[in-house]
Amino acid sequence: MSFIVRQVAKRADGGDIIRTRTLVQAELTVGRGTDCDIQLADLAVMLRHARLVKITADKVSVETTGGVPVEVGGKFVTRADLTIADNPTIDVGPYRLSLSPGEDGAVAITATRVVPPIEAADAAQETSIFSLSGAMPTRRRMAWVGALAVLVLLFLVPLFHFIGEDQADLPKDMVAEAARPITPGQAFGDGKLSVPTARPAAAGGFAPDESWSSGTLSNAHASLSNNCGACHQKAFVSVTDGACQACHTKAALPDHAAPARMARGRLPETGVMGAAHSAFNLPQGRCTSCHKEHEGEATVMTVAESFCTDCHSGLNGRLPDTAVANVPGWAKHPDFRATLVSSPSLDKPVFTRTALAGAREKSGLIYPHDIHQSTTNAVANMAQKQRLPVGADGALPCSYCHKADSDQVRFKPIDMEANCGACHDLAFARDGGTVRTLPHGKPAQVAGIIRDFTLSESFAPRAGVQRLSFDRRLPGKAPPPLSGGNPAARAQAAVVSVFTGKGLCTECHVITDTGAADLTRRFTIAPVSINDHYLPQGQFPHGKHKSYDAKTGQAACVACHTGVMKSKASTDVNIPGVANCRECHGAPAKTLLSNTAKAGASCDTCHGYHDGVAPGAPLPAGHVQPARVAGRQAAGRNRQTPA
Amino acid sequence: MASTAPVRKAMTGKAVTRAPRDTAHEGFLTHKRGRWAKVALTLSIVAMGAYLLTDPVPRHNGGTWLGYLLGSIGAGMIVWLSLLGVRKRVIGSKPFSLKGWTSAHVYLGLSLIVIGTLHTGFQLGWNVHTLAWALMMIVILSGLWGISLYANLPERLSANRGEVTQLQMLEAIRTLDRQLDTAAQPLGGEDAEFVRMSLEQCTIAGSLRQRLFGNYASDGNARALAAISEKVMAGLRSGRADDRLQQIQFLLERKEAALAQARRHISLKTQLELWLYVHVPVTIALLAALLAHIISVFLYW
Repeated sequence: MSFIVRQVAKRADGGDIIRTRTLVQAELTVGRGTDCDIQLADLAVMLRHARLVKITADKVSVETTGGVPVEVGGKFVTRADLTIADNPTIDVGPYRLSLSPGEDGAVAITATRVVPPIEAADAAQETSIFSLSGAMPTRRRMAWVGALAVLVLLFLVPLFHFIGEDQADLPKDMVAEAARPITPGQAFGDGKLSVPTARPAAAGGFAPDESWSSGTLSNAHASLSNNCGACHQKAFVSVTDGACQACHTKAALPDHAAPARMARGRLPETGVMGAAHSAFNLPQGRCTSCHKEHEGEATVMTVAESFCTDCHSGLNGRLPDTAVANVPGWAKHPDFRATLVSSPSLDKPVFTRTALAGAREKSGLIYPHDIHQSTTNAVANMAQKQRLPVGADGALPCSYCHKADSDQVRFKPIDMEANCGACHDLAFARDGGTVRTLPHGKPAQVAGIIRDFTLSESFAPRAGVQRLSFDRRLPGKAPPPLSGGNPAARAQAAVVSVFTGKGLCTECHVITDTGAADLTRRFTIAPVSINDHYLPQGQFPHGKHKSYDAKTGQAACVACHTGVMKSKASTDVNIPGVANCRECHGAPAKTLLSNTAKAGASCDTCHGYHDGVAPGAPLPAGHVQPARVAGRQAAGRNRQTPA
Repeated sequence: MASTAPVRKAMTGKAVTRAPRDTAHEGFLTHKRGRWAKVALTLSIVAMGAYLLTDPVPRHNGGTWLGYLLGSIGAGMIVWLSLLGVRKRVIGSKPFSLKGWTSAHVYLGLSLIVIGTLHTGFQLGWNVHTLAWALMMIVILSGLWGISLYANLPERLSANRGEVTQLQMLEAIRTLDRQLDTAAQPLGGEDAEFVRMSLEQCTIAGSLRQRLFGNYASDGNARALAAISEKVMAGLRSGRADDRLQQIQFLLERKEAALAQARRHISLKTQLELWLYVHVPVTIALLAALLAHIISVFLYW
């Protein structure tokens, strides 16, 4: 009945120290306590952990005594019978007791520490404890992950999207909108060309190369925000005019001038800027030279004044045959040359650009502005009696004849019946309940009507027919009876009186008596062309100028059109000069703190760039379309420009 | 004696004469009386002046002549600044000292805030271009953070550790562990468990959060000390003081003090290192973003 206990301890150099004891007893105690037969010095072992009892010659039972189980054959048990011949093992804490048959029927027990004790500090631990390498991934790994993530997500993915992208599908409604011609003279500053809210992005969702966008697209182009290839068609090639003109056709947005002349007129780039633009493949004069995209909502429309004066300040030096005067800037803007009617015609009036000083216009109409603006004369009297909308001063207001057109830029064409007819009525007789009137603008019809009326009165006079006098007269006053012999002569006299007498045609028109035998062809009326666009190269939105220098209404009109109250003839040109505009435009505001101009003075305040080579034509519907502009001076207006 | 002077020189006994040197330490911030601070300040003022005196249409951004100029300068500076990591690995290279290089790195890096931001024209968005700017700002600000740490922490670091090395701090803890292990051998199961808690569940450094904020209340040693102290107090109150437990308590307290010193050291070192864990990887990501930024601009020219 004996146990041979061998306790194995590790030496510092790695070798084993084996202490062997032979205990002659039937029972062994195992534990941490110093009184145990097998002392296992580890706090995981109970003071008295277990008891080994030799039951038979070849069997030993193990029984825990400390309440903590032992591990036998992979199982935690509190009690087990072990066959020595099987060489069983018992794990107690970090120790393993290996049982085997010993000499002389003894049980040999080898106690070995199988779980190493807490190690001593070493240099490797020092690094992991005292530096962040123990708590963080290495900087090198983080750098690789970050850099690769950026390169893949923001460079390679967009790049492959660009390479794999088919030819862009342009949104149909955008293309349709772009193809709609703009009204010539329409300035960008007036807000009509702006798109107030961003168009929605086209179908297809987010495109990876959107991450390359340098800024928000303008509202008008926002549909293209996920369609970079619509404009950026070729890698490393700056956006071409072709990309713009895929939507903005030349028909809708004509060239400013013929491209070849534009190229010659442009100030050539020199120095560093020129070298840089040439080195980086940025030819000048492209759409994108002026129109910068990716600058936010409305900025694609913003163009600097210097872009205009770049060319126009010394244009005649580079383009000697130009008809356009040099414009170094607003302060030195040449005075206006009004486009005046030089030869009135019913169908082909001729206009001539003329310097304002001393200019006369040949509209063919007789019309003194002064007597129509009086507050006291017969005109005023009649207007009041007719209950026309006279002003507070009793005179006819400008707006009685000059009615703003739909876009408030210019005025509706003067119309005889609407604007003159209230006073200058063409009634010639009262026939029972009917007032007989003459048709305006049809002299042959007038002659015929008067002749036939007079003849019928001679041959078959009817009761209730009263001839009316054309002379301005008190109401109810009968005209003097027609004198003369036979009815034909009376009829002829009546016709002559209509065309040559006071109060009717001659009031406004120049009549020529051709002496023709045919009474309906005898009198011709000089053609009248009333100008309604004196400065067609620019635009003057009258609607925006309803008040001027604290004046409104009539006074505001007269403030600029100063001569009109004293104008005795329609040949007077009452168009204000450029100095008049400068009183506000570009003039410093009269406040203590603000130094900003009272009103804008950039070129596009008045001028459009994309009006084509013939700005001003066609005019809005309803206006007389000028057939041609005569003379060298107007060459810029509708010339077929040679290269 | 015509040859006195050369003879006296030969008698100094030094094979190589040392270059005269200021005895007072001159840090990289004051290197050459702030030469690079002046260069950087001038650069920033010139850039701001150019920005304010030009009025591009429709607005300032990276696409104007000034934008391209600032962008080119900025990109060159970023590449050069990131080369500090290469320079510091090349020992004794000429003509510029590492200190001078570091001084230039710091001040030119700060001027990059002005150069890079003016290059953007304050036109920022969710794109690769703004990403490059944002990464650049993160790098610069983390560098600024690092400099402020270097101005304060080394003094505290050396005050905390006295003359003790890091390895000695660890050894002290290990020694206490061994003493605890030995002292606990006679203890019963429950008490031994507490000591095991201190021995086996004690983390000196722990997670990044623990290292930075020093929250070790749930650490093994702290819990063991609390439990043992309670038992000792209970023993004292009942008049049956347990000498063995008091010995354990004493050892646990000493271990707690040793841990506290090591952990203060770890906390300071963590702060000294952490900014570099931002500065360096973000710099590399910035170089990648810069590449993507530049190529994409010219690709979608």
